[in-house]
Amino acid sequence: MRLSCLFVPLFPLAARLRSEPELKGEAVAILEGNGSTARVVAATRKARKKGIEPGMTLPQARSLFPKLVARGRDRESERSAQEALLEVADSFSPRVEDAGEGTVFLDLTGHAAFSSQLSALSQISSLSPGVREGWLSAAAIALRPAAERVQYEGLGAMRRPRPQVASREASGRQRVGVRGEQESIHNSQLTIHNSSQSPELSLAREIIAAAEKASLPARVGIAGSKLSARVAASLPDSPRVVPEGEEAAFLAPLPLSKLAPALEIAETLERWGIRSIGELAKLPEGEVASRLGGLGRQLQATARGIDPRPLEPRLASPCFSEGMELEWPLVSLEPFLFVGNAALERLMQRLESQALACTRLEIGLKLDPDGYDVRAIALPAPTRDVKTLLTLVRLELEARPPGAPVEGFTFVAQPDKPRRAQLSLFGPAALSPDKLATTIARLAALLGADRVGSPRTVDGHRPERFTEVSYAPPPPPELACPPRAGRGLLAIRVLRPPVELEVITFSYPLPLGEGRGEGETSITNHKSQITNSSRLVSLKSASPDATPPISGSVRVASGPWSLEEGWWLDDPRSGRSAGSLPEGRSLALRERECSEGSGLRSSPHPGEPRAGAPADPEQARATARDYWDVELSDGGLYRIYRDRATNAWFADGVYD
Amino acid sequence: MGALQAQVLEQLLERGLAKKLPGLLAGSGARLLRASQLPSPGQTRGSLATGLSALDRLLAGGLPKGALVEIVGRRLSGRFSIGLAALAAITSSGQAAALVDLGDHLDPQAAERAGVDLTRLLRVRPRRVKEALASAEMLLAAGFPLVVADLGLAPRHARFVPDAAWLRLARSAQAQGAALLLLTPYRLSGIVAEAVLSAQGARPIWQGSGRAPRLLTGISSRLTLEKHLRVRPGLTAPLSLSVPEALRPLPLGEGWGEGETSITIHNSQFTIHNSS
Repeated sequence: MRLSCLFVPLFPLAARLRSEPELKGEAVAILEGNGSTARVVAATRKARKKGIEPGMTLPQARSLFPKLVARGRDRESERSAQEALLEVADSFSPRVEDAGEGTVFLDLTGHAAFSSQLSALSQISSLSPGVREGWLSAAAIALRPAAERVQYEGLGAMRRPRPQVASREASGRQRVGVRGEQESIHNSQLTIHNSSQSPELSLAREIIAAAEKASLPARVGIAGSKLSARVAASLPDSPRVVPEGEEAAFLAPLPLSKLAPALEIAETLERWGIRSIGELAKLPEGEVASRLGGLGRQLQATARGIDPRPLEPRLASPCFSEGMELEWPLVSLEPFLFVGNAALERLMQRLESQALACTRLEIGLKLDPDGYDVRAIALPAPTRDVKTLLTLVRLELEARPPGAPVEGFTFVAQPDKPRRAQLSLFGPAALSPDKLATTIARLAALLGADRVGSPRTVDGHRPERFTEVSYAPPPPPELACPPRAGRGLLAIRVLRPPVELEVITFSYPLPLGEGRGEGETSITNHKSQITNSSRLVSLKSASPDATPPISGSVRVASGPWSLEEGWWLDDPRSGRSAGSLPEGRSLALRERECSEGSGLRSSPHPGEPRAGAPADPEQARATARDYWDVELSDGGLYRIYRDRATNAWFADGVYD
Repeated sequence: MGALQAQVLEQLLERGLAKKLPGLLAGSGARLLRASQLPSPGQTRGSLATGLSALDRLLAGGLPKGALVEIVGRRLSGRFSIGLAALAAITSSGQAAALVDLGDHLDPQAAERAGVDLTRLLRVRPRRVKEALASAEMLLAAGFPLVVADLGLAPRHARFVPDAAWLRLARSAQAQGAALLLLTPYRLSGIVAEAVLSAQGARPIWQGSGRAPRLLTGISSRLTLEKHLRVRPGLTAPLSLSVPEALRPLPLGEGWGEGETSITIHNSQFTIHNSS
């Protein structure tokens, strides 16, 4: 088993500097505790040069260096930094253990960085000895830049690649040095050493680079046990690789304090004159057990490189979070957005490293003196655009201020896979899914999420009804196809909301004996009824602020076209209910709808049932309208209707 | 620089300097060209056909890619219908399109009847002109090949939009190679539009006369090319638009399988037309 330990020294300080990168280069000390009991737990190199050490109180530290920047331990930043460290480890191994406080173990057994070269070299071992030696002598030069250290022993099996760090060449071997490489042939053995590029060493350097990309100065140790890897990672010259089976030899010269023994055992061993791990390992096992008990026996086993603890892999977190505790509570938005921007950038960087995007952003605000404010922003499409997210956060906080100073915050991103699309070679160009998602999110931030989408028709007859779904266009066809010929249809602009009208009608005289003998002009504004024999004379918008303003005499009117919908439902405005209607009346209403809509023009919007149309509360409303197409003297061509229930007139569309 | 001066300078360069520095003026780089002879970046971009023959004829093939085209017209001018026709053409070819609907005027059912593939249409509904222009710029930057910006019937404060905003929109369209169709009630985009068309003289067409009931069958209008960078302005073309109910296809197997069939009533007589 090969394990790697990813270790961040002075973790509280590293986490703080990750949250506040502007403090890098300053003399900073991290303190733990309150008031006069606060003690320094970590300090930057600049502060340590001034004599500031862990355990000092703040007055002591300030007496040595008055310009010392003191910060308290930020548990939120440390938690975020630990998560970031785990995600770095996740990108190298599927089995990762969270050891806490800036320490992470990775299982490197069977890592691809080693297996590819092992498989290639296993084929070489099957060659005849003469051919193999000739090939290897050439490969010693050809593989110079590559990361390998290969050792063959006779015709036997190949050994695992071994790094250079603890390699010891046997005396009497023939050495040919080429730019730091060593080729050794002794007793049918050939060893190719690349002192600068062993596979494990290269991998360790990649891990360090990935951690530095996450703003964490990490050290890496690779060994066969957790203890050896942890000790190797704690050494200053990083990365350090301990060859397999040489853990005891690696630990031997190190001081005993590296094993962190219990205080009593440490004092006893000191009295015995045991200073190094190797000296402890050489002691007789039975004697140590009889004098130091079980703990002493266990300690000696670890000194001999025996660490039976297995790797305990963690479960991947379902969400990503970043946050920090502020030094002083913030009451205005701009400073908060400044620190929030940095946190969002770190969060999106982590999502990007996992090839994920944010589909929902939760904001947790820790309020002063107490309280917590949690809110969530649902994104129309997964995105990693920090600018867009920051705009959404701004709009959310402007719309609903927290109401108290903010002394800490947490951004939690619900991850989702970003949209991907296969571009076509011969078809029309498709939109970039990532760019489209970002654009939709920015549009939603600008206009509101309910004002961006793809329109859909709704099953029903009323023309103003529609629904919108999130925009997810189907992939373009594989081959470009020409556009269809246009139908040249006249479109209508729907007026939302419809413009209420005052309508002047003229009723033709009724036949003799049925009432009035002369024609009658009436203004029908919620009052009078209109019959099929009535003629529209003029229209005028009821409100002077109506948009668009409508006024003029009627030149030509065409109608009425009847529309009834939901007639089987209760209609509180008309005071009738479908249940109270006799069956014959219901049938008559249906027949009337069909007859009045007959001719060349059918019902204005014959809706067909469509799958996926969302439920609309308006659908449960009974509607009965009479529609007219009206040409006015102002040159406009409008679609107006009269609501039979209220006898009110509206213009709901303009032909254009 | 006049033509004579250019010719003299060209001869001087060819005869004088060529003798002193042979090879310096060899090749096409040595020739003097007028600015008008230089290839324009928009000449090779192509155009998007709208399916309306009148508009495509005036614009020499359709909406030019990488340019802003403004269509100006009052009520009943047919500009909204033109916008829907352009959206129908681009979405029917499998491409995505965006509509900036300032007045929230789109009727999805009517758009579907006009041939718009609603699944490929992104619609944004801004409240103000400023938001509409910002939305259009974002949509252009996202890579939509066609963005139709309809500024509604009476956009408020549209006259106060600075020229720089229109220039920015035109530059965005040019950078992305997208067509931006601007539908306005009056001229707004200033000098940045590649082409400006006005729809005038619209009148509705009614069927029926006397005391017979009337039926709206469509409108007739006239498109005028007010401005074009590469075509002589002043050209006009008639534009006829029909209401969907006047175009009713017959069921398959009962005569015409393809094409649009219209039924009209005139003097109590039915007349059936088939466009195919």
